Amino acid sequence: MLRSALRNRPSAIPGLVVACLLVSLSPSLMAQAANAPGGGQPVAAPPANQAPPSLKDLGISPDQSQGSAADQSRLDRRSHMLKIHQRLGLITLAPLIATLVTSNSAAGRNSSTSGRELHGALGITTAGLYLTTAYFAIRAPKIAGTKSRGPIVLHKALACIHGPGMVLTPILGAMAYSQRNSGQKVHGIASAHSAVAAVTGVAYGAAMLSVMIKF
Amino acid sequence: MNWKLRAASLLLALSPLARAQSQWVLDQSTLSYHVSHPLHQSEGVSHAARGKGVCQAGHCDFLVAAPVKSFESGDSNRDLHMLQVTRGGQFPLVTVRFALPEAELASATIHCDLEIQFAGQTVQYKQVAFQRVAQGNQARISGIIPATLSDFKIDPPSLLGVAVKNEMPVRVEMTWHPQ
Repeated sequence: MLRSALRNRPSAIPGLVVACLLVSLSPSLMAQAANAPGGGQPVAAPPANQAPPSLKDLGISPDQSQGSAADQSRLDRRSHMLKIHQRLGLITLAPLIATLVTSNSAAGRNSSTSGRELHGALGITTAGLYLTTAYFAIRAPKIAGTKSRGPIVLHKALACIHGPGMVLTPILGAMAYSQRNSGQKVHGIASAHSAVAAVTGVAYGAAMLSVMIKF
Repeated sequence: MNWKLRAASLLLALSPLARAQSQWVLDQSTLSYHVSHPLHQSEGVSHAARGKGVCQAGHCDFLVAAPVKSFESGDSNRDLHMLQVTRGGQFPLVTVRFALPEAELASATIHCDLEIQFAGQTVQYKQVAFQRVAQGNQARISGIIPATLSDFKIDPPSLLGVAVKNEMPVRVEMTWHPQ
């Protein structure tokens, strides 16, 4: 019917084109009018055909947006082990200080057999707790793609000093203990026991402070 | 032939109106969270956010997303611990959605209702104020989201047995441009 009407009246075509155009544009025109200054309240409700942006629009793939329980489990395990490391590190500080305090009764003019035994026992306790503490840090899962930054770098560097020191100190202490008990003066490498212990103690304290105080 | 010309001119004249849909793209961003501890004040910063806004018929929907692991505080150990407590292995993205009338985009202060998905939780913050400064054809948006750890059911991390404060304000600085 429309076709025959147009065939009969070709002059109606421009009018029809304009009418179709206006009808198709009317929603946009109405929206523009509503937002024009003084054009009434802004339209807050979303139109039905509008799709809000998605993660795909941001170039984020489903792989990137979905995590995995295994990754989370690895992070949980790492944190759990490092918390134990932190607690044991604090606990180790107590026998470490006690060992340093009792060193006066183990060496020098005031030394006694009981003093040396107490010092030795505390030293062994310290070394045992220290190695357990270290185990939890060493065995904590590593997270791929993570580069160490900040105070943890110093904390790890100091471990290179107090780690060997904490192994060497009891060995030298045992040698010194043996020499004193056999009536000898402490000599040879065993005489470095105090110095190695002091360096180890200072490095250990600094390692703790490095993660406690912000530089 | 004359009617064809008239129709073409009308089409050209009305074409901007037909383009009722406009888009905004996030150019640059700095998102920083702040946590307080008696021994530390730390800030984690991310510049890795991506964002897009779609405006149609006077209404705009925005989405901003950033990987949780992109926040760096200068201490890799703290960042990994943050990733763990915020369940970043399982929920690797933080997303912020907000909708507002297009007319509001021209205001100096924009008030948004934010819907934030983070750490496996969805939390809404009502009427968060952002300042807008126009820079050429760009818009610089800044503001603070008053987030807390408890909002997202995050157990407060502790150091030496002392937990961090519950408040975790997130400072937002973004530069958007229309596309």
